[in-house]
Amino acid sequence: MVQKQDFKALSAYVYELPATYDPRMRVPARIYGNKRVFDMAFGDRSVEQLINVAMLPGIVQYAMAMPDMHQGYGFPIGGVAAFRYDQGIVSPGGVGYDINCGVRMLASEIDYEEVVDDLDDLATVLYQNCPSGVGGKGAVSLTHKDLDKVLERGAEWALANGYARRDDVERTESGGCLPGAQAEVVPDRAKERGRPQLGSLGSGNHFLEIDVVDEVYDVAVAESFGLAKGKLVVQIHCGSRGLGHEVCAQYLRQLQDAPRRYGIEIPDRELVAAPIDSPEGQSYMAAMAAAANYAFANRQILAHFARLSFEQVLAGKVPDWDLRMIYDVTHNIAKVETHKVKGQDTKVVVHRKGATRAFPPGHASLPPVYQKTGQPVLVPGSMGTASYVLVGTEHAMEETFGSSCHGAGRTMSRRQATRSVRGEEVRSELHKKGIVIRSGSMRGLAEEAPLAYKDVSMVVDSVVGAGIAKKVARVIPVAVIKG
Amino acid sequence: MGRWTEIDHTADLALHIWATDLEDLFTTAARGMFQLLTGDVSIESSHQEFFSLAALDVETLLVDWLNELLYLNEVKGLVFDTFAFDKLSPTRLRAQIRGALVREYINYIKAATFHNLEILKTEDGYETEIVFDT
Repeated sequence: MVQKQDFKALSAYVYELPATYDPRMRVPARIYGNKRVFDMAFGDRSVEQLINVAMLPGIVQYAMAMPDMHQGYGFPIGGVAAFRYDQGIVSPGGVGYDINCGVRMLASEIDYEEVVDDLDDLATVLYQNCPSGVGGKGAVSLTHKDLDKVLERGAEWALANGYARRDDVERTESGGCLPGAQAEVVPDRAKERGRPQLGSLGSGNHFLEIDVVDEVYDVAVAESFGLAKGKLVVQIHCGSRGLGHEVCAQYLRQLQDAPRRYGIEIPDRELVAAPIDSPEGQSYMAAMAAAANYAFANRQILAHFARLSFEQVLAGKVPDWDLRMIYDVTHNIAKVETHKVKGQDTKVVVHRKGATRAFPPGHASLPPVYQKTGQPVLVPGSMGTASYVLVGTEHAMEETFGSSCHGAGRTMSRRQATRSVRGEEVRSELHKKGIVIRSGSMRGLAEEAPLAYKDVSMVVDSVVGAGIAKKVARVIPVAVIKG
Repeated sequence: MGRWTEIDHTADLALHIWATDLEDLFTTAARGMFQLLTGDVSIESSHQEFFSLAALDVETLLVDWLNELLYLNEVKGLVFDTFAFDKLSPTRLRAQIRGALVREYINYIKAATFHNLEILKTEDGYETEIVFDT
């Protein structure tokens, strides 16, 4: 079993396990985080899972875990790994079942103080307009043909159908549409699950939240993002629903035989993989892109209904009730990107499993509005705690394939959480803090209680300390809608 | 008669399962999974489903079986408590299952995973651990 002393501290925020630790490792494994984060990593099996990632063919530089790392099922959550396009693999388990689970944030000109008495109504209307919960049906109905268009066009479909503005699409990672998506490689069963669910949050840790900006660290960048102290913002966290789960499950099943056929050694069956340029690898990439596009459209439609909810409750009460898109990031994805590997521009597939892209100023992938600032990096905290808006850095491009953390990261199982605290207590604590809550399940509240998570500030201080993101602003919740 | 126990997992749900034979293993895994979803609810089975599955090996067949049940749960809202196998080998099954509509859930499971999945043959039958993405 791997020990802390097997790692070497490269700095106060980066710990490395050399590839010599296990002859099957092709590259070193790195943990990003301060000493406390590093120590916590040994509380579950996430380090073991990180080592498994370092064994996969075609991996370059290092297998990395961000400071919000915890045990997953294959890759650790918080895992980042890049594989050479010409010699590497793509692994559905390295993306996960909730393909393109992600988060978006919308800014407003609404002063928190002006609408304190309206928050209860806002939460109720949002809960009605943005469906959540187990098996929740979505806010839009789709024909089979429509669904195929959603899969191939993503947020562009939402724009063409009145659920988006041009600005929303431009401020979405990859323009809200991953290239190469093919509806015909998405299994019928995935479509059957996804068709009734577009425009729904789902359950688990997914949420819609109204926050207020309580701290601004970089005034100029915050201004470019549309953030100002005391103003409301909205965060939406969800993914590709049953459609993505089915795509992942079916491809994992289909690829069970691929390691034998392609002579790939894998340390865990959940990490089954196919060469990127193989027919199986290409088919998965096309299906994954389609599921990712569904998720982009899903968050866009929820944002549309959030806007309508704000209008319904606040029109006439405040001068400007509009919600303006800041950015939408994906945190479960495999993307074709070009990065420097040993000084050479190299085409790779970056797997981010619970990690956020964090591209620097001037990167060609960013929309004109963020060319000077760099990419907004959205880091939601646990329920009832602060969330952060960060911005990408050049150092992240050099070290982490332009990646940073995606949240606080769990430390406690759902079962432990429900044993430690009751949902009613969590709700009462949130009420005491002035946070309005709408949730379909008391147990769900207990499972997502802040005590089950790391302190998001420690996680953020770690990525800032490591230089892979910079702080822009902090927001605190005032209303939470949960499945 | 098989049994299961829930194992702690930081983010997801996991079961350790003991069973006397293959039929018991598949039945126990299904019962354990539905208990994770619904808790201890008693249902009056009124719906019946039939299906066949074929897989590469017994681990894949177990994952397929559980994911088939999750699919039926999501699209039809059914929870199952009676499982009969017309045929069950390590790579094929034909099942008749009975269940009922259930609207209250305590957990959501996205899928049964292959994570470190290995079905062990023991002196007493079979033993395995299965992780569910939630």
